[in-house]
Amino acid sequence: MNSRFASALLRTLLFQASWSYDRMVGVGMAHASEPLLRDLPGGREGTRYREAMHRATQFFNTHPYMGGMAVGAVARAEHQGLPGDQVRRLRHALIGPLGSVGDKLMWAGVLPAAVGVGLVVMATVSPLAGVVTFLVAYNVVHLTIRWWALRAGWRSGPAIAQELTAGTIQRGLRVVGPLAAAAVGFALPVVADWLAEDFQARTRLSIGVVAALAIVFSRWIVPTFGTLRFGLAAAALALVVGWLR
Amino acid sequence: MIETLAWLFLWGTVVGLDLVSVGQVMIARPLVAGTVAGAIAGDPISGATVGAVLELFALDVLPVGAVRYPDYGLGAVAAAATAAGAPGALGTGVGVCVGLAVAYLGELGIRAVRGLNTADVRYRRAALDAGDAAVVRGTQLRGLMRDTLRSAVVTALGLAIAALVYRWPPVTVRGAVLITIVLIGAALGAGATGGMRLSGRGVHLRWFAAGVLAGVAWVFVT
Repeated sequence: MNSRFASALLRTLLFQASWSYDRMVGVGMAHASEPLLRDLPGGREGTRYREAMHRATQFFNTHPYMGGMAVGAVARAEHQGLPGDQVRRLRHALIGPLGSVGDKLMWAGVLPAAVGVGLVVMATVSPLAGVVTFLVAYNVVHLTIRWWALRAGWRSGPAIAQELTAGTIQRGLRVVGPLAAAAVGFALPVVADWLAEDFQARTRLSIGVVAALAIVFSRWIVPTFGTLRFGLAAAALALVVGWLR
Repeated sequence: MIETLAWLFLWGTVVGLDLVSVGQVMIARPLVAGTVAGAIAGDPISGATVGAVLELFALDVLPVGAVRYPDYGLGAVAAAATAAGAPGALGTGVGVCVGLAVAYLGELGIRAVRGLNTADVRYRRAALDAGDAAVVRGTQLRGLMRDTLRSAVVTALGLAIAALVYRWPPVTVRGAVLITIVLIGAALGAGATGGMRLSGRGVHLRWFAAGVLAGVAWVFVT
């Protein structure tokens, strides 16, 4: 089973490779689950394998790092011989909680925290040190989460809820939000100082005014406009003014 | 020159794949993609600078559910290629400008790839529903190939724009400085907006404010 577990773990890295509007990551989940389903009674030509693969390819969506937990839990449920309807219900029941935990833990937690730290190191030590710090800090957590999620899912099967409510995850969720907010907050003035170090005080003030306008515009006036479009619009305006001057 | 472009093209293609399809080990974050692209182009400092500016824009993106988001990693590669070799602030603004446009092209490419994946999955619906592992593998492989093509095409477009801007600079020196000032300001605003959005209204917002105050104190002390 170890080589199949390793194969499934590697395949979770391709969880979103064929992301589609119909099934979202359903096909990716089937691809990652396949090594764990091979030794179902009857083997690859057996009915149980075919039925399990059929269920695995249906609509599914969750956080890509937590997807391994669903892969492991559903594969374990198939091995336990749960009826097809129950396996389907288990899959559907996992979509929301795994997505929510993954988004809070990684996208709104570890990622911005690591970015904040990486930017500060980049500004105060060196660009290379910033990049290395960010990649190491982020991926130690990321790869551990992927490995743990698949292992926990495979170990617990349909009783997977207990893993999500376990102390470590809940403690992690409590810590990582404030950490991310503080890290991003700390990084902003440090990076601002670094980016504006070549400019005089008056120019720095201009940068501050543009930043304040950007916050007011994208947070309160037109929050759906998006900061990319605001950036492009600001750049276009600056280009025109630059030509006129 | 050709060798540098080839390496930048290869790096951009790998960066584009990391965004969604393969691994998500975050080499697609602009601070990584831009710094490495700058190093390839012989100017890691400019690469890191444009990477940091685009990273501030990227902080406002939460890649949840079916949300579509700009490909700031490919933007950072094009931005670093544009800014490389330009003295001081001159290259930063124009580079970031190119980077934002390429990030938007990357977003359009993601929409196209998702549409094609959907058509592919619909076309092979019967085989997928039959639980055919070979069809599952094939569907994954084709999805990967589409994203590879997207990354390669957007990277090539980005490098072409960078070459055009290098050959025929679109603004004067004063204009380039003005764009740099505006885009650094906009990026800081985007980063702050992203930080506030991330923090919500509760206790996390206080942590964010405490972080900003600590950062300001750090700047004045050091």
